[in-house]
Amino acid sequence: MSPFHTPQFRGRKALILHRHGDATRRLTRQLERLGMSVECHWPDFPSGGESTDVIFFDADNGFDGLFPWQPGTAPMPLIALLGSELPSRLEWALAQGTSAHIVKPVQSSGVFSALVIGFANFARSNEVQDTIAGLQGRLASRAAVVRAVVRLTQASKVDEDTAFACIRSAAMDKRITVEDYCERLDKTRLAELVHRLLRTTSANQPDVPGKSWFSE
Amino acid sequence: MARREVPLGLLYSVTGTYGAIGRDAQDGAMLALEEINSNSDSPVVFRVFSEDPGGNIDAYHRICETMLRRQGCQHVVGTITSLARKEVIPIIEKHDALLWYILPYEGFEACENVIYTGAAPNQHLLPMFAHLLPTYGKRVYLTGSNYVWGWEVNRIARELIQAVNGDVLGERYLAFDDTDVGRMIAEIEQKRPDFILNNLIGTSSYAFLQAYHELGLRDPDFLPEKRPVTSCDLTECELADIGTDAARGHLCSSVYFEAVDNPLNHAFRAKLTEKYGAERPLSAFLVGGYAAIHMLAQAIAESGTDDIEPVKEALFSRTFDTAMGPIKIDPKTNHAALTPYLGRINEHLGFDIVLAEDAPVPADPYLVEFDAHEFAATVAAKRRGSAASHLKVVK
Repeated sequence: MSPFHTPQFRGRKALILHRHGDATRRLTRQLERLGMSVECHWPDFPSGGESTDVIFFDADNGFDGLFPWQPGTAPMPLIALLGSELPSRLEWALAQGTSAHIVKPVQSSGVFSALVIGFANFARSNEVQDTIAGLQGRLASRAAVVRAVVRLTQASKVDEDTAFACIRSAAMDKRITVEDYCERLDKTRLAELVHRLLRTTSANQPDVPGKSWFSE
Repeated sequence: MARREVPLGLLYSVTGTYGAIGRDAQDGAMLALEEINSNSDSPVVFRVFSEDPGGNIDAYHRICETMLRRQGCQHVVGTITSLARKEVIPIIEKHDALLWYILPYEGFEACENVIYTGAAPNQHLLPMFAHLLPTYGKRVYLTGSNYVWGWEVNRIARELIQAVNGDVLGERYLAFDDTDVGRMIAEIEQKRPDFILNNLIGTSSYAFLQAYHELGLRDPDFLPEKRPVTSCDLTECELADIGTDAARGHLCSSVYFEAVDNPLNHAFRAKLTEKYGAERPLSAFLVGGYAAIHMLAQAIAESGTDDIEPVKEALFSRTFDTAMGPIKIDPKTNHAALTPYLGRINEHLGFDIVLAEDAPVPADPYLVEFDAHEFAATVAAKRRGSAASHLKVVK
């Protein structure tokens, strides 16, 4: 069984965007206990604040323009400090891309778990964003793949599944994605594919077994 | 001199699964309370409110609320399990009172309204594993009662074992009071771990140690000299319930054993003998309850009030000499710096001290200072015998 490593925040930088008071005092104390360095600012976003590891922000009084980036694009986890539960405030906090929250009054318990959950959600959200970006790219290339399959079926008189299997095999040989291969399909490559098909169909074996692209 | 009367809550389960621990903590506290109340020179006289939740988790909140709301207590000494402590903390915070918690626990807490005088994992599990892994081996079996203490201590143990590329051969839990240990014992017999970490509590733990002893009788490969059972919360007060044969030879980490050699500990032994007889063993809980009350009384005497902020300031400003050794509360964490020991259970139902830290170790409740590579290097060095561990060998 792989252990859940003790979450470690030693040496990390935290920025608190909240007016000074009991909330910031308690939060700072708890963050320092976790080995973090802390800066408090309100209402101006400090210069250099972009390089902090995590931001705690006042969700009750936060305003558009508090952060120097577009809503939802924070380069670090954002943790909301919530007193009010008004839907308008929750809507604003969510729009910033909040990864976790702490309910006011801030107490010593709750800070550690908000950090752990906030960092985990932020990392996960980034992973999902990367995956989506990759998939969107592939989706955009779908027309190129269709065009390539059609060109190959016309040039070689094989069916679509055989043509796709051949393209996939050729892309694998070049260690690039099918989409990238199809985007760059020129006359030379098409000729290579036709030649490849002639070799494999003469052996009467599709060169790449597996699921058909068209029946996916 | 007018003496300040201070209401005080004592919230220990002296009956139920872990009643033996509660009785020691409570008796230690009561011994100190009697001394203070009967000492006319003491500026403080405690009015004690004590009620036994009987190990019933649903009773804690109600009793604690009565102590704070009706009896005006600002200080409550009590709770044994983390489950009970977590149960009362919200109400302690709500009333801005102070809970005095004297038990070893699993860490990851630093409540402003709690003073922690028991050991955190860097004061119990870490020094023990830094000795066990190089001495007995890295193939470990983990057991526990089904609640946060066992879950978290075993999780930290997994992390330590992984840091040295060891193996967790099994991890099994029992419900409170469950004594059906057959499956664990069978698994241990089959897998032959180098040592076992026992986080079972009360009757489950006693049944486990007794069954392990029977296994050792059948197969000497399971004698404690070869494959010990180790724990971080077993003290003198429970050894009689386990029995000499089953208990002898196993290892425990604690910040106090009766065998600790200092004048205050000898004096405490004499006091306890006078009150309960020479047969009553001392334990970290007896000494811990006693020390906590004296620390509280001195802090109240120095600050002239039982309001918690001045009491905490007085507490943080000094070191207290106790039978456990000097205790200093760290204002950063509200936890005590304590001296870890490793003890081996002897045939007199006491502990021989095997290892002792040179000086009190500050608590690190969130394991901020823990470094897996450093830990692995310490274990490797000890294994090679080329460098001494930071624990010095006593015996």
